[in-house]
Amino acid sequence: MQRTTTGVKATAAVLTAIFWKGLKYYLRYPGSFLLVIVTPFLFALLVLGMGQFVGSEDAASNFALRTGTTNILVYEILGSAVWMISWVVVEDLGVALRDEQMKGTLEQNFMAPVNRITLLVGLSLTCIVIISTVFFAVVGATVALIMPMELVRLMEAFLMLLIGLIPLLGIGFLLAGFVVRFKEPYIITQMVSLLFATLTGTYYPVTILPVWVQFFSYMLPQTYVIDGMRQIVLANRTLVELYGSIIALIVLSFVFPTLGYAAFKHFETKGSATGEFSKY
Amino acid sequence: MRLSSISRPRGAQQVSFRNTSSVSRILLEFRAAFVKDLRSYIRYPAWVAGDLVSTPLWFFLFAPGVVIFSPTGEGSSAQTTSFLYLGFLFVVLFSTILWGIGQSVRNEQMAGTLEQFLLAPANRMTLIIGRWARVFLTDGIIMGYTTLLISMVQGLPIVLLDPPLFLFSLMLFELGVIGLGLLFAGLTMRIKSYNTISNLVFFGYIILTGALFPIAIVPLPFRYVSMMIPFTYFIDLMRHAAIDTATILPETLEVATAMLLAVVMVLVGSFSFKRIERQARVLGSVAAS
Repeated sequence: MQRTTTGVKATAAVLTAIFWKGLKYYLRYPGSFLLVIVTPFLFALLVLGMGQFVGSEDAASNFALRTGTTNILVYEILGSAVWMISWVVVEDLGVALRDEQMKGTLEQNFMAPVNRITLLVGLSLTCIVIISTVFFAVVGATVALIMPMELVRLMEAFLMLLIGLIPLLGIGFLLAGFVVRFKEPYIITQMVSLLFATLTGTYYPVTILPVWVQFFSYMLPQTYVIDGMRQIVLANRTLVELYGSIIALIVLSFVFPTLGYAAFKHFETKGSATGEFSKY
Repeated sequence: MRLSSISRPRGAQQVSFRNTSSVSRILLEFRAAFVKDLRSYIRYPAWVAGDLVSTPLWFFLFAPGVVIFSPTGEGSSAQTTSFLYLGFLFVVLFSTILWGIGQSVRNEQMAGTLEQFLLAPANRMTLIIGRWARVFLTDGIIMGYTTLLISMVQGLPIVLLDPPLFLFSLMLFELGVIGLGLLFAGLTMRIKSYNTISNLVFFGYIILTGALFPIAIVPLPFRYVSMMIPFTYFIDLMRHAAIDTATILPETLEVATAMLLAVVMVLVGSFSFKRIERQARVLGSVAAS
C-alpha cells in the first residue's frame, strides 16, 4: 500500500523528519554549537574592553550619552546575540541546500514527493529551536546575572525576536537560492552576516551611521529586533509601545519570505533546466 | 620501455636534484611554493572578492561600537582611528597563522595531496614559508586597500610616528607568525577538529595579547599569562612605534626580548613541525582526514 504524501499528517511527518535531521547535525558537533553560544560574549567583551581604553574613566558616561543606558554589557550582549542568531539563520538555510548538493543528495531531496515550502519550513524549524537555545543561553543568562529583576521582560524580548524571525527566514531562503546558483556558501554567508551586523547596529545605535546607510538599516529586520529588545529589557518599554517596529516587522514578514521563495523557485527552475543541481 | 625514452612534455621544466643544499635551490622551492599558492588563491575569484569585502567590514563593524565610548567631539580623532586600525591589523596578521599556514596543511590533507606534498624532494619549511609569503602579500594588498577606504570614509590619516621601528617590529611579528604557523601546521596532522581549536586560540590571542586593547586593561592574574606570550611584546612595540603608547618593558629591553622570542618561536616551530611529521609518518596519520 502506497503511503499518502499529502495532507496534514503527511506534511507533519515530513517536517518532523527534516527537523530531526537538522538537529542531529548540531548534536553531532557540540563544539561548533558551543562556539555559537560563546562568541556573542567574546565579541561583546572585546568591544567593551576597547571602549574602556578609548574612553578611559569617562567611557561609561560617554556611552550613556549616545545610547541612553549605562548598562553597557546587556546592551552589547543583546546586539551580539541577535547578530549570532542572524548568522545561524543565514548560514543554516543558505548552506543547507549547498551541503546536499556537495553530497550529491540534493536531487533526491527535490525528487521526493514533498512540497518545496515544506522542505524550507522544515529547515526553519531546526533553526527556531537552535535560535531559542542561543537566546536563552546568551541573553537569558546575561539578564539573569546582571539584572535579575528584569527577567520577566525576557519573554517579551523573545516574542520580539520570534516576530523578526519570519523576515529573517525569508532572507535565508533568498540566500539558499543564491548559494545553489553561485556555490561558495561560506563566503556569501560571511559577507552577508558581516554586512548585516554593520548595518543593524549590533554594537551601536544605527542613528550614528550616515543617513544613506540608515536607509538600508531600516530595510533589515534585525535593526528593529535589536532596538526593540534593548527598549524592552533596558528601557522597560512594552511590545505594545513598540508598535511602529512591530508593524515594520510584519510588513517585512511578507516582503522577505515572498522574495526569498520567488528567488528560490527561480534558481530551482533554472537549475532543473541547466543541470546545475549536480554541479559542485 | 626505458624511462629515458619518455619525452618531456612541452613547457615542462627539467628538474635537477643536484646541489640540494644550495641557496638557489631553496629560493627555487620557495618560489614554486609561493606561485603554487598564489595560483590556487586566484583560481577562486569568490574567495578574493570575499577577502576584499569581508576584511574591511570587520573594521567597520567594530569601530563605531568603540567610538561611542570616546568623549563627544573626539569620537573620530586620528589617534582613535589609528588605535582601532592597529588592532584590526594585529588580528589580520595573526589570522595568517590559523587560517593561512595551519589551514593549508589541513586543506592538503582533506584534498588527499598531503602525502605528495611531504614526499616532494623539497624542504618542508620552504613550502610552508611559501604559503606564508602568499598570505602576507594578499593581506598586505587588503590592508592597503582598507587603509585607503578608512581614510576616504573617515577623512583621517593613519598615524605612523616611527616607521623604522614599526617595520622592525612587524618583521619580528612575522617571524613569530612563521614559528607558530609551523606548530599549527604540524598540529593539523594530529587534531581533526581544527576549526573549533583555531577559533578558541584566536579569541585567546585577542584577549590576552593586547591586540585590541592594551594589556593594562586585562585583570591581574591573566596579565601574567599575557606577559608570557611573545605576541604581546611584538604588538606592544608596533603600537608604541605607531602611536607612541607606553611600552610594557623599557624600550631597549623590550626590543631585545622581542628579538629573542621571535628567534625562539621559529626554532620551536620548526622543531615541533618536524617531530609531529615524523610521528605522523610512523602512526600513518598523515592522510587521516
